[in-house]
Amino acid sequence: MEDMLEDTVLVNLRINGKLHELEIPAHKSLLDLLRDDLNMTGTHMGCMTGHCGACTVSIDGRVAKSCITLAATLGRAKITTIEGLTQDDGELSPVQQAFWDEAGFQCAFCAPGMLMCTTELLDANPDPSDAEIETALAGNLCRCTGYQSLRRAVKAAAKLKQNTREAAE
Amino acid sequence: MGEQKSETEGYVGQSVRTIEGRAPVMGKATYTNDINFPGQLHAHILRSPHAAANIQSIDTSGAEKVAGVVRVVTGAQAAEHIDPIPHYIDPAVFGGRSASIRCLALDHVWCFGQPVAVVVAEDKRTARYAASRIVVDYEVTTPVIDSEDALKDDAPMVVPGWDANMIMQVPFGGGDVAQAFSSADRVIKTDVKVHRFSTQPIETRTYNGVYDAGTDSVTLYGTVQNPHPLRNVLSKILRMPENKIRVHAPVIGGAFGMKMHGHPEEGLVCFLSKLIGQPVKWVEDREECLLIGAREQVHSVELAVTKDGTILGLKDHYLANTGAPSSCPGWGMAFLTGLTMPGPYAVTNLDVQLSAVVTNKPGWNASRGYGKEVTALALELSVDNAARELGIDPVDMRMRNFIKKDQFPYDSPTGLIYDSGDYAGVMQKALDAIGYDEWKVKQEKAREEGRYLGIGVGFELTPEGGTLPGTFVAGYDSSTVRVAPDGSVRVLTGVTTPGSGNPTGIAQIVADELGVRLNTIEVVQGDTTTCPYGFGNSSGRSTIVGGGSAAKAAIEVREKIIKVAAALMEVDEESVSMKDGIIASGDKTIDLEEVCYACYTRAYDVGSVIEPPLEATAMFKPGLVRHTPNEKGQINPYPSYSNAAYVAISEVDVNTGEVKLLKFSVAHDCGNVINPILVEGQACGAIMFGIGAAMAENITFDENGRQLTKNFMDYVMPRIGDVPSIDLSHHDSPNPVNYKGLKGAGEAGVGGSAAAIVNSVNNALTPFGVMMTETPLTAPRVWSAIQAAKKAQPQRKVA
Amino acid sequence: MSLYPAFARPRDLGQAADIMGGLSTGAMIIAGGQEVMPSVNYGALMPEVYIDVGQISALKGIAEEDDGIHIGSSTVHRDVQDSEVIQSKIPLLSYAAAQIGGGMQVHNRGTIGGNIVSMHPLYDILPSLLALGAEFDVLRGDGETRVALADLMRDASHGLGSESLLVRIHLKPMTPGAGWSYEKLKITAGGYGSANAAAIVTLDGDKITSLRVVVGAVSALPIDISDALGGCRGQAWSDHLAEEIEEKASAEISEPLSDHQGDGDWRRAMAGVMARRAVEAAVEKAG
Repeated sequence: MEDMLEDTVLVNLRINGKLHELEIPAHKSLLDLLRDDLNMTGTHMGCMTGHCGACTVSIDGRVAKSCITLAATLGRAKITTIEGLTQDDGELSPVQQAFWDEAGFQCAFCAPGMLMCTTELLDANPDPSDAEIETALAGNLCRCTGYQSLRRAVKAAAKLKQNTREAAE
Repeated sequence: MGEQKSETEGYVGQSVRTIEGRAPVMGKATYTNDINFPGQLHAHILRSPHAAANIQSIDTSGAEKVAGVVRVVTGAQAAEHIDPIPHYIDPAVFGGRSASIRCLALDHVWCFGQPVAVVVAEDKRTARYAASRIVVDYEVTTPVIDSEDALKDDAPMVVPGWDANMIMQVPFGGGDVAQAFSSADRVIKTDVKVHRFSTQPIETRTYNGVYDAGTDSVTLYGTVQNPHPLRNVLSKILRMPENKIRVHAPVIGGAFGMKMHGHPEEGLVCFLSKLIGQPVKWVEDREECLLIGAREQVHSVELAVTKDGTILGLKDHYLANTGAPSSCPGWGMAFLTGLTMPGPYAVTNLDVQLSAVVTNKPGWNASRGYGKEVTALALELSVDNAARELGIDPVDMRMRNFIKKDQFPYDSPTGLIYDSGDYAGVMQKALDAIGYDEWKVKQEKAREEGRYLGIGVGFELTPEGGTLPGTFVAGYDSSTVRVAPDGSVRVLTGVTTPGSGNPTGIAQIVADELGVRLNTIEVVQGDTTTCPYGFGNSSGRSTIVGGGSAAKAAIEVREKIIKVAAALMEVDEESVSMKDGIIASGDKTIDLEEVCYACYTRAYDVGSVIEPPLEATAMFKPGLVRHTPNEKGQINPYPSYSNAAYVAISEVDVNTGEVKLLKFSVAHDCGNVINPILVEGQACGAIMFGIGAAMAENITFDENGRQLTKNFMDYVMPRIGDVPSIDLSHHDSPNPVNYKGLKGAGEAGVGGSAAAIVNSVNNALTPFGVMMTETPLTAPRVWSAIQAAKKAQPQRKVA
Repeated sequence: MSLYPAFARPRDLGQAADIMGGLSTGAMIIAGGQEVMPSVNYGALMPEVYIDVGQISALKGIAEEDDGIHIGSSTVHRDVQDSEVIQSKIPLLSYAAAQIGGGMQVHNRGTIGGNIVSMHPLYDILPSLLALGAEFDVLRGDGETRVALADLMRDASHGLGSESLLVRIHLKPMTPGAGWSYEKLKITAGGYGSANAAAIVTLDGDKITSLRVVVGAVSALPIDISDALGGCRGQAWSDHLAEEIEEKASAEISEPLSDHQGDGDWRRAMAGVMARRAVEAAVEKAG
């Protein structure tokens, strides 16, 4: 049995397209791994209990709260953080652009979560209803906007994405 | 949106997107916790598990044995090196009791969560673990938790040596109150209890102290709203001159008052860095952040009224449970609550008295509204209760008592001088926007179906830009405008941003005054080394004084540019215009860069008409403030009186007590609007605070004074599905003494919106006779009130 | 309690059993981490060994077999919601999984097994599972045993700690035509429940022929009140029946929770309101 216990854990994470082979201690949250070890500080620490959503990243195409994700369990996961939303040519994604244009944030500390969740929502659902937006962002707290401009930003992002898609066709 | 603006108008008044907003959507904004230095160490604070206790001994040996621990420091050890924390607003300046506040407790703890010892380690987890290895021998004493208990004769003293659990008692008011009450048709009393709630920015407080032995200087990187004043505070704590201290506030993730200074951890990390010789960072966890409270007050408002609803007089002797003493400016909120009475109402006979009580709860810090939100709650709930008692419409009662728009400037009975306003107009706009009369019809119909809709209004007067004599709550601020040889612009200002967008508002003003494009302007804030002296953000002041001072500096620089441009073009100065970076005289135009380059490089010919460089620093100090006491000893600490009316439509589930908000409307008078999208953000954000306050956010304690609220499961803040659509209208009555007529948009709304919600719930439950005047209106409370009303009136049959 | 925990990644149930058998207390089984990590982050929980069961294929997936539907314990909430099998055969569970708080992020990482094992009074899955008569396969040192949730919950030390592993959940498809509902009273959108009720009802004409009702979030564990409501059988829905259900459901709550979400009196009353609403909605859906 003892030979099945490891003191450190080897993970192979592809983060924003770049492969990271890492030997990490067992206890580390994905949030701490990103911020403290990889210096990717776009993902934020707001509560460490999974309530605020500021630490949200995408793991294998699905949003997750990195503060309550044990990094050692991730094996060979593909991870996208807010830094990975910017397109390869340096252009902002429609979600980034719309949040900026519509003041979808103020202090922006919650922005990583809002942008990651909105990105996943719009990938699956190009024209979400109010109720669908509420479900998608239910795991995220914003303390500045009162959510009014944030809701507008999600809708503007949907429109912008639609326009971009049409322009490409 | 964005850079676009109409050709004829300037940037001011346009909804441009923020110039600082690109970095955060890319995940590239740098917050305090994003910064680490070589040799970075991490601190964890051991906090008292008791509300009141004497510290008999502290054994740190267990912690020191943990691998990775660099240093463990107790209060007694720290006191050898550092001094107490100066108060942001010292009660002694106003004749009150003042306590000495240490970064770490010495021999006595007076609240749950008070810092007792600190561990510095190579990583934060080791520091936290090691702190659990410290053994403190406490002699637990009896705490006082409740403000009424604190004033009993046999109450234990929160602060050893004090003779009463009271910071100060302050009377406000004037007129002939006795006459007003004796001549009234009715005296209607309303007990309003406002609970303890907090601002809780998503970014918690974070400080990183970096000592440089070579220059014997220290830099504090921190979540700091007021860097320059904090520098002075640090100099006292650390026994260092101010010119050896730099305070730098990187991007801040929301503040709402909580990041105003006086916190023990600010000085502590600087001291620890100096002691150890390596950078020391402390990141507040959410449990710690929830210790910081505010607002808990007990009011007993008596309105002397005529049958038709005219308020002849108002009495309110209220208690504020400010918790244990703190160097933060929170306790001053209790003072402002009284000072802002009787709000928007033309009541001259006023007998208000504050008792600012200390208890063994953790202390307060400033919170958006700064006590004025509690004024609004106390007044607006009382007016609704009176209107119900008198059988008149609550809106009619307000309209009858509002100060009229031709009465400004208006001298309030507490000594304030209201600059301008049209309260009835503001209220009417909010009502029209939501369709007040239509909702009354809908309410009737709904009741027939057994559904309980409620319509509630609330009004809030929010004095802004406050300044208190003898404190760092200052009314003025300064900005520098620099134009480089290439024509690009840098604005350095003493005001800071908590994320509200004020750098963009200031840049819009500078773009217009200077005559350049917005995208050529950078705004620098939050650094005592680079920025001119300033007081940061507080009290809705940042665009008023940051914008006002930057405008003055921009005008000075523009004059220089125009002069040199005229010399270069060989035309009269008067014929030269400058707009959007284009300099023209008649048909001639000249490139801005060419002129700026000449200003710097041709000081002995065409540039000799000015003094280079292209730079000016200016100060803006609003008028109307009166710090010389009048014959009643009153001062007016505010230049500006923003105000707003709120209408809430709610539906109450009478079987569960749940309140659902259906619609919200606000009409807001913040003077002229620099950027509507930013003002919308402030107004909606404040309303969300009001929703949280009215319905769920609550910090609770057990009977021993131990805090029960530890995380966002316990402290329930509104999520996107909890906030209805908000109809926002502006009703501008410009401030006659401020630049562009600004009044400040940052604070107003917490109390007015919360009051509108409470009033809407009471309105919905009128058929039951329910009148709740204690916040928050959680479902269990609403349900209990309905049950009690049903028992009291069993004849009412309700579905 | 260890500052330097070890990590184990069993590849199959055999290895998992070996590891669990060889460890004393202080080991913590982890899958999605949603339940464990908040306590780890605040130092309240410092396991000596994390046993990551995420690699064990036997814990994964949803399958329809002859004897019913099997859900691997490490199946995440979102897959329970989205599963066509569950949506068509056990729609109550699919719906209840969608009511879990914490947002999409928690639905994406949190597992049905973690939700069950925590036995948290406010969580959303147990009431429905109890109403559905769920059975569990539990791996202990001596092998897998099947145990009914109802039996498990009678035991105060329910035995789903780190010494045993919840392998899969067994459920029978709901009776075709049965009506169902899960009602949740919550104080914030996306938050925890203050009271809830799951109901499954079959009708003959307008008469109730069978009825399963469980109320949750009002006491330490969900309470199956189906027997107490046995008298509803044979009756059609009426205001009178609604009142009877509400009263009887409340009366079953002898030790209500009292916490920051609400006091005991309210909790007890809400148990009644939720039960009434759940049955009413289920009756409406049945047939």
